[in-house]
Amino acid sequence: MIYDEPRILPAGDCHLLMEFGNEMNLELNFRAQGLATALETSGTKGVVETAPCFASLLVHYDPDAISYTDLGRELRAIGESLGPPEELELDSRLFVLPTCYLDPWTREAIEDYGRKIAPKEWDPAFVARINGLDSAEQLVRVHAGTEYWVAALGFWPGLPFMMALDPRCLLTAPKYDPPRLWTPQGTVGMGGSSTAIYPVATPGGYQIFARTPVPIWDTEKRFDVFGDDICLFRAGDRVRFVPVGADEFTEIEARVAERRYVFNVVDYQRFSVRNYKRWLATLDRAARF
Amino acid sequence: MIEVVKPGLETCIQDFPGRIGHWNRGFPPSGPMDSWSFRLANLLVGNPAGAAGLECQILGPTLRFQRAAVVAVCGADMQPTLDGAPLPAWESVAVAQGSVLALGAAKLGARAYVAVAGGVDTPPWLGSRSTFHKAGVGGMDGHALRAGQVVPVARAAGTPGRRVDPAHRPPIAADRVWTIEAVRGPNDDWVDEAGHARFLATDWKLSSKSDRTGYRLEGPQWTFTEKATDKPPEHGSAPSNILDQGYPLGGVNLAGQTPIILVNDGPSMGGFINPYTVPTSAFWKLGQAKPGHVFRFRAVGVEEAQALRREIDAHCSEASLVAAGAR
Repeated sequence: MIYDEPRILPAGDCHLLMEFGNEMNLELNFRAQGLATALETSGTKGVVETAPCFASLLVHYDPDAISYTDLGRELRAIGESLGPPEELELDSRLFVLPTCYLDPWTREAIEDYGRKIAPKEWDPAFVARINGLDSAEQLVRVHAGTEYWVAALGFWPGLPFMMALDPRCLLTAPKYDPPRLWTPQGTVGMGGSSTAIYPVATPGGYQIFARTPVPIWDTEKRFDVFGDDICLFRAGDRVRFVPVGADEFTEIEARVAERRYVFNVVDYQRFSVRNYKRWLATLDRAARF
Repeated sequence: MIEVVKPGLETCIQDFPGRIGHWNRGFPPSGPMDSWSFRLANLLVGNPAGAAGLECQILGPTLRFQRAAVVAVCGADMQPTLDGAPLPAWESVAVAQGSVLALGAAKLGARAYVAVAGGVDTPPWLGSRSTFHKAGVGGMDGHALRAGQVVPVARAAGTPGRRVDPAHRPPIAADRVWTIEAVRGPNDDWVDEAGHARFLATDWKLSSKSDRTGYRLEGPQWTFTEKATDKPPEHGSAPSNILDQGYPLGGVNLAGQTPIILVNDGPSMGGFINPYTVPTSAFWKLGQAKPGHVFRFRAVGVEEAQALRREIDAHCSEASLVAAGAR
């Protein structure tokens, strides 16, 4: 459901949560990101920072500078001034990530889980099966067939939660229960209908089936593309996974280690919600790659 | 420069308010758990209230000063000694080159803070020196202090001979029961009235599985409204699952049936409800509570929580300091 009016909810003495709806829907995330950007340019006093998520926006404010009630009023006014989501245009970089699907490293993590925690069908076969695909190979075609929209970052710093922009590539998957004890750095996986990349080796709950050698987390400041930051992505970026073999993965990994890997980034585009919806209307959503 | 002789239990560098402005990429603020004691320690030695200092948890460190310094220890009572003689807490003291400051186990409270005139001068990461252990960010090499490390300190004259008037110190009590303020929301409408009554009536026990990312509470089961079961599938299957959302600092995050208060190093988002939020004014109590202690929650409104925050901010000022000899 998309709410007629966003709900504004208290969250302690210096946060509030603005909810735009209660479903996984790109349009709700566009609204959250559009409002976050508008709030930043409006210079509304007392706003410390914001964090958009799938269908909501968390706002951190300074209660000495603005009251909860006044901030809520400002947020509604700015939200209304943005008009319908079709009007939104958001800055959006495109990252092209070479990615090794059905790779040996995530397979090892899955097998280790099977030995130590609970027996489990190989994740790519499982995700293909429950989504009505013929094979793990078709899962690769479908998963790599779309650009992904970075809807939010979090849980772990720099970890992108991404949604498929092409509805012909929509997939869903339940999370591990209980979770995995480890996941290789750079693993690509999905849970619910979102895709994530693990910035570093951590425990995890997503179904996993690919790995990228491109670092999305850099505490050593090795690559200029990070600027002053430690994590690569911000909300509103797009990602395309390009399938590569294990040999190419290893070669790129070596270039990363020697600091001579060249990031493939497009940084001049704006994402128009109107144009996107126009394109959506031309698609046969039932089709699969 | 301060040499770490014994590191204590996860002694770490923190500044206040910490790493702010990066929540939208998953970086928590970090910073001192009890920022009331922390700010007073800094003010005592003549630093800005937020300058980087040391947070000592449960068991304090032993530190050798490689040059003369002015220091203050505030917060939990860790029986500090200087070259073996008792050192008064809540006071700024000049220490000579080569002297050794030793903190023991926390007798009262859980976290003590060591401020040094000039402030700890490690390189800031994303605008803050605060340590975020989990991701290896900030502090010294991203982690808690280790024996043999030398902590850089900026040069400053310092202000020895000052003391915090007891009326302005956080009232760390000897009993094991804490009253913690809680503001209803953001997801309070997922819990039924019986669930709310139970939350406020229960003596919650602070689990030993608590750390700077979250404070786990042990207590009764929760009950829910229809909203928790009648929801789109993307919210997840358990009643406390919700479509992933941003988490406020202090959220009482219901992971299954276990409430976890999200504290300074906690996650920025996730798929569980936060029926209550602990306001920042209660964080000093979280910082001074030990596992096994009891939390009783008191419902407060947004405005009351904000007024309490202003009261604490007022305590963290020069006006709270007196000459060390004064009563």
